Amino acid sequence: MKHAVQAGLHSSTSGGAQRTFLAALLTALGTIGAVSNTASAQTVFTLPAPPFELPMVPSVSGNWTVMVGVGGDYKPDFEGANRSMFSPVPIFSIRRAGSTEQFRGPRDSASIALIDFGDLRAGPAGKFVSSRKASSYSELNGLGDVKTTVELGGFIEYYPVDWFRTRGELRQGIGGHHGVVADLSADVIVPVIQRLTLSAGPRFTWESTKATSPYFGIDAVQAMATGLPAFNAKGGAHSVGAGAQVSYRINPQWEVHAYVEYERLLGDAAKSPLVTLRGSPNQTTVGIGASYAFDFKIR
Amino acid sequence: MYRSSRLLNFATILLVALSASACAMFQTGETKLQAVKTVGIISAVGGAMNIARAGLTGLNNNPSQSFPIGSWGLDDLIVQQATTALNGRFQVQPVSYNRAAFAAVKDSPIAPVNLVRGDPFKKLVQAEVSPQGLDAYIVITKAKSNFGRGARKVEGIGFLTYGTVLASYNQIHALYEIRVFDGKTFDVIEKKSAPPMDDAVEVKLPGPTRQVDDSYSPGTGEPVRNENLHRAITDLIVRSLSTTLSDMHLADVR
Repeated sequence: MKHAVQAGLHSSTSGGAQRTFLAALLTALGTIGAVSNTASAQTVFTLPAPPFELPMVPSVSGNWTVMVGVGGDYKPDFEGANRSMFSPVPIFSIRRAGSTEQFRGPRDSASIALIDFGDLRAGPAGKFVSSRKASSYSELNGLGDVKTTVELGGFIEYYPVDWFRTRGELRQGIGGHHGVVADLSADVIVPVIQRLTLSAGPRFTWESTKATSPYFGIDAVQAMATGLPAFNAKGGAHSVGAGAQVSYRINPQWEVHAYVEYERLLGDAAKSPLVTLRGSPNQTTVGIGASYAFDFKIR
Repeated sequence: MYRSSRLLNFATILLVALSASACAMFQTGETKLQAVKTVGIISAVGGAMNIARAGLTGLNNNPSQSFPIGSWGLDDLIVQQATTALNGRFQVQPVSYNRAAFAAVKDSPIAPVNLVRGDPFKKLVQAEVSPQGLDAYIVITKAKSNFGRGARKVEGIGFLTYGTVLASYNQIHALYEIRVFDGKTFDVIEKKSAPPMDDAVEVKLPGPTRQVDDSYSPGTGEPVRNENLHRAITDLIVRSLSTTLSDMHLADVR
């Protein structure tokens, strides 16, 4: 289903599909807007207390904040591609009322801070990397499919001051690739006013040969099938770039955000014939989103 | 068809049986409280005020500074307010305890350590409170939270200045949590943090907080002398305490 939607949104398709999606997006936002008319900053509804509580598990009673929304990413079809497409992304989170979401960069993996000194945090991190089907894009015809990858590892982040975050992640791939990926980033976080926050900073990614080769290597059979020269992609510095995001809280319920991330492929990823002959080393992702938050209570 | 119907019946019976046994095994705090008659109240929230800066702080990353505010008598106020709220339902008995020992307890920054070591106040209630033998002990202590989207953490009673490019804002907070300990087993029957009130704030906190103007600022570093600040903190505690006790099914005050 998602694939069908994405295919319909491909930049090379007719404008009708894009208009259809935009209409759907506006309808979704309109629906959320209609809900907002009846909701307020106060508790929207109250649920009864659960019939039992589990030992060692914190009680669920109390106030909770639910955030729902819709967003979208305009990003390259695949890593190294020179064409991009727009993909809708649902936004959903639930947390204790009053708690604020920690700063999060668009490229951050999902993570949990098991060690939290405030200015120093660390814990497990994981990322889901979609499969790359050769049949989905003409540039990939003749190349093998790369299965879905789950990258598992850890993160560490350090705030020298409250407005500057540095973060590192190290992840091992399972599935489509079996290599190691390291991401480094830094973000200056500037609250312009309390409701408007800007952030920006540099990015760097290193990948091992086993993480690079499935996506950028071309073996003899693939070379025959694609007409591209064979290429033995090795690991190393993978990309360098920068990103920026802006978030604006319209009122206690509504928040909008946008971001742009640019990366320049390096090393064998940039030298691969897939990139030099059929793609681009310049990779840009643009994202937007709007979310609505409301509180509910469990007795 | 017949086979799937049997499976459905079996699943339904299993679900009902599991729910019934779960209800029997894992009673809610409210159920456990029904047997409680006598309680003692311990408070170790209001001995100090933390003053900190967050947001655009320049190149300083100073941790918060702590100032004594014991002379405000916030802990005595908390015990008195809680006693009034609980007296209808429970027999509240005065207890003596080492307040400094309760105030000194800190969570480990390593989350698994907290899970393994269990509740840090359990041993204190056993060793530092007298008389023993009451049905339950209600322990009110400082709570901790992240502030904003950066690295700053806030705890207990505090005053925080949040700097942005165009302005800076002051916010006060009174973050605390309430535990009810079984007087025999010293297990936690119920635990809850005081929730945020309806005060309008720009930077949310998961507890009582409100924005204040510069007249509440400790300025010279002596918050204990600022009467505005004293009154505002007292108001936050008084309003939130009744709500929290009610949410914990300890008092029906709303």
